[in-house]
Amino acid sequence: MSNEDNQTTGMSTRLDEMLAGARDSAKGSYVIRAVGVKKVYKMGDLETHALRGVTLDVRRGEYMSIMGPSGSGKSTFFNMIGGLDKPTAGKVYIDQVDIAQLDPYELAWLRCRKVGYIFQMFNLIQVMSCLENVMLPMSFAGKDSEEAREKALEILGLVGLAERALHKPAEMSGGQQQRVAIARALANTPDILLADEPTGNLDLKTGEEIIELFKHLRDTLGVTIITATHDLKMLKASDRIVWIEDGNLARVSTPEESGIHLEEVH
Amino acid sequence: MEQKIGKQIKLPFRRAMQISLRGIRIRFGRSLVTVSGVVLGIAFLMSNLTGQLIKQAIAKERAQRDTVNMMLSLVRAEIGSVSGKKIAVAVCGALSDADRLLLEQVVAAGPESVRGLGFEMNGVTSVPVESLGQEAALLLVLGNAARSELKLSTLSAGMRQRVVLDSVEDRVYADPVDSSVRREPFFGRESDEQIQKAQQQARAERFRTIWIVGISLLVTVLGVANALLMSVTERFREIGTMKCLGALSAFIRTLFLIESSLIGLAGSLVGVVVGALLPMIAYSFAFRFGLVFGSMPYGTLFISAAGAVVVGTLLAVLAAIYPARFASRMVPASALRSTV
Repeated sequence: MSNEDNQTTGMSTRLDEMLAGARDSAKGSYVIRAVGVKKVYKMGDLETHALRGVTLDVRRGEYMSIMGPSGSGKSTFFNMIGGLDKPTAGKVYIDQVDIAQLDPYELAWLRCRKVGYIFQMFNLIQVMSCLENVMLPMSFAGKDSEEAREKALEILGLVGLAERALHKPAEMSGGQQQRVAIARALANTPDILLADEPTGNLDLKTGEEIIELFKHLRDTLGVTIITATHDLKMLKASDRIVWIEDGNLARVSTPEESGIHLEEVH
Repeated sequence: MEQKIGKQIKLPFRRAMQISLRGIRIRFGRSLVTVSGVVLGIAFLMSNLTGQLIKQAIAKERAQRDTVNMMLSLVRAEIGSVSGKKIAVAVCGALSDADRLLLEQVVAAGPESVRGLGFEMNGVTSVPVESLGQEAALLLVLGNAARSELKLSTLSAGMRQRVVLDSVEDRVYADPVDSSVRREPFFGRESDEQIQKAQQQARAERFRTIWIVGISLLVTVLGVANALLMSVTERFREIGTMKCLGALSAFIRTLFLIESSLIGLAGSLVGVVVGALLPMIAYSFAFRFGLVFGSMPYGTLFISAAGAVVVGTLLAVLAAIYPARFASRMVPASALRSTV
């Protein structure tokens, strides 16, 4: 009897999942869904709970900022939704695919095509020209080099650096390097741009230019932008701000809702 | 739920090669340090090999000269001075270098004539077998063949005193040697004891060389491994970034293996040239310049050089295995760390 019960429960759970899946695809508007994400780091006997069950949906074409003091689990959560790390418990869906199910080849594929990464230190490959940096993800994706060159030049044009394509990163200013990095992140037309303190190493004016570029990309390409940042200007420009504190999702607000707060700090 | 995820493809080797080459070119200074480690190790290996070849060649030259001198003094012991005498020479089988040198010296000593059978040489008149022994003071039988088709009595026919010096102690002729012929060998055979002793010495020498060279190569491997590990830690952000951009672990591993094999190849090539030239020049000071360069067996030297290059390249790849694994296991998130 009990066995049958279990079966029916199992069935209904699966049905629920299917229904949920159907609902999602009907909406089709969530590019990332994090459901009860927990992450525990083990160091010997010591367990550190970096994330204690975070649930968050990121809408397609949204500009979202993640805030949180250091040690809050912000970086862990950021890595998680970028497919750089797998959760201990809970699920992360990127474009409706559970990343925990992916093998290394599939993960590399996902990082290559679905997500574009932008770093605080720009992380351009110093030994390559800007053009080659932008072409790199395309060659990882198996594009032939003629096609990749054309596309790379086009994207460099989009970020306003077409004429500097053959320069080495070291010959460029920080703002220019970051724009090359953004071009590189866009190389395989990803759905998501993941930016970790993208303005952290830039002066105020250049930072603003980068923010403008992000807004422009979101509006023209419909790309989802997720940033981890402390930059007030970036927070202001975003559609939603997610606050992570002590491994939990503290609150989600629009810049207007937390506007007074921002002005105060300003 | 539709599964839209594909599998990342493996990049062709050519791409990895391009990226690797460019990395070496840009980080030229650092690569040079690593390369020089390989250069030293391989130069040491090569100089040992070359030194041995030179020593062997010089020893051979000396032994040959000693042999010729000894043969010549035996000739003189039989007939006194060579000058003004008629000498007959028959050759069975191939002439050795020592045989040739002896003949040159005999011709140079100013005999009335040197008649030869079965070979061509400056200063030697070729004659048919019947007239070979005519009036000759001495018959030399040279060459390495253990058995002669000719009769010793025919060869020595017409000699006043039938004195024969033979380069092979127990050479067998078509006829039994009769008592009218005095046949003397140039050399007795080396005793087994002598041979054994020489072999033992050679073994001990070889073992010592292998030990020293082995240790120096081990040091080279550790040096290259250390340099590559440093280079991995230096580049962890770059490696992480590449992984974020979709590079597979195998690609990162290939990058480092290519880099180290190129370092190994370049270092070995330079090391081989340095290691071959240095001992040759050094020995030239100790001996005659012409002796060292003239007696060098260049074929063997080339084979040793090729072997040393292969060894150097393989060792460099061996040294890269751990650093390459270390690099390929780096997590992509390490690209996000802002401090170096």
